[in-house]
Amino acid sequence: MSTAQLPPGFEALEPFVEAWSIKGANNRLQRRLSSTEAERVAFFDAGRGLLGPALAYLDRKPLQELDEPEERLMRLMLSFAHVALAVEVQGDDEPKHARDARYLTITRAPADQSP
Amino acid sequence: MNVQASQYSPSLNEDVAGIGTGPVPAGPYYRDDYFELERAAIFQRCWLQIGHVCELPEPGSFIVRPVEVAKTSILITRDRDGKIHAFHNVCTHRGTQLVAEESGSRPLFTCRYHAWTFGSDGKLRSAPDFERFYVEKSQCDLHSVAVDVCAGLIFINLDPSPEQGLREFLGPLAEQLETLPVARATVFTEYVYAIEANWKLTYDNFQENYHLRFIHPRSGAAAGGPENPFGYPLQYGFHGPHRTQRIWTNPNPKIVPTQGFAFGKAAAIAAADGFGAAPHNRDYFALFPNFFILGTPTQHFSHCVMPLSATRSRGVIRIYWIGQDDSATKRFAREYVMGTIFDVHSEDRAVIEAGQRGLSSGALEYIHFQSQEVLCRHLMYCVDQWVQSYRAARTAAESA
Repeated sequence: MSTAQLPPGFEALEPFVEAWSIKGANNRLQRRLSSTEAERVAFFDAGRGLLGPALAYLDRKPLQELDEPEERLMRLMLSFAHVALAVEVQGDDEPKHARDARYLTITRAPADQSP
Repeated sequence: MNVQASQYSPSLNEDVAGIGTGPVPAGPYYRDDYFELERAAIFQRCWLQIGHVCELPEPGSFIVRPVEVAKTSILITRDRDGKIHAFHNVCTHRGTQLVAEESGSRPLFTCRYHAWTFGSDGKLRSAPDFERFYVEKSQCDLHSVAVDVCAGLIFINLDPSPEQGLREFLGPLAEQLETLPVARATVFTEYVYAIEANWKLTYDNFQENYHLRFIHPRSGAAAGGPENPFGYPLQYGFHGPHRTQRIWTNPNPKIVPTQGFAFGKAAAIAAADGFGAAPHNRDYFALFPNFFILGTPTQHFSHCVMPLSATRSRGVIRIYWIGQDDSATKRFAREYVMGTIFDVHSEDRAVIEAGQRGLSSGALEYIHFQSQEVLCRHLMYCVDQWVQSYRAARTAAESA
């Protein structure tokens, strides 16, 4: 079966690709703000041990040369940054935090401008 | 661990501001008549931060910025020789707003109304059937606005003949700003917000740490600690209308795992860029009237609060970076660092608006600033100095 969407070694993150492999910093932020606690915790728990290995894997190539599975993994890790802040820092306060955060918009990020 | 280093010994010097300690009138934070004075006395006469040179990477690059407080739009260009210009974004024929895009690159700007065409140096190049006008072409160039650059930051001054040049206005801070990463920045992250609050009230929120433990109990935890629970800074500085503070950092903050990982990477990137132990790593530079930048290389952000009316503003936060993302780790570290700053700012907006609703009710004649709120007091003091000197000059001119 070859339905893998991510590079080998990151199978544990496959269930999160659809929801969290997102293009655009503001879209990743909005996904965080509209997510449920269960979604965030599930993604965080699956990703926490794979962040270091994923970045080390992706660092082997220039960003412009990432293939599609690698690009998906990159975007997944960028979403992980947002989710980690929600889970590890905000914790129980995230719903209240998210209510106020919706009034801010990310208008530019280097990740959105270069491949 | 590290108990020695965690000793907090303040050397605060708010007295050197020489601006007193009394109650401060509340009216300037909501009254329309005071805002009209600020508009004329400050925003039409003062150097205003408007952009960064990395937005104009090559000849022909341009940006357009609204300056609502001056009811204008400014076109900033880099001409064929690399020189930066600023103009009112207004066709000199019949006043049509010339450029509709926010940014781009092109050598000529053609007005869509009657095709008057200007160069990136502002000169009128061509105008159809021009011989039937009653004016010389040389009198029809775009109206220029004073512009200058410090530390890569672009400033404009809407006064047709500014009283001071930018360097003179910034004084000793100009040289210090030049040592910050922003002076070498090539890209930035930006986020924006709209707020129902006076520009000073909004800006003041970011000039004091007194509120951190209440509004940012989680996202701002590193700014306080048992030995300095209110997060007093180590030092204040007052430089004409500008002010600085050296921020205290809890040497033993509670760091969650991803934070430790991401900031470890961010610190390594800063060190590789030559900002491992820079002299202004913990300095906050507040430039009159509405701009500040934090020197910290790992969270190197600026914040500009643009007034829209007496009780409405918009905020623009930028995090400046040197070089494009060139690795997955750098890209991740930047996204995470942005999130940490974003989270703090997103928690401030609602309470600032609540402050505005209270002040706008007119219930208070005065507000009170504490020792640590001396920077807020200094802003109001300087604003009022500019307003009063403008009023005095206007009165003198009228009675002359």
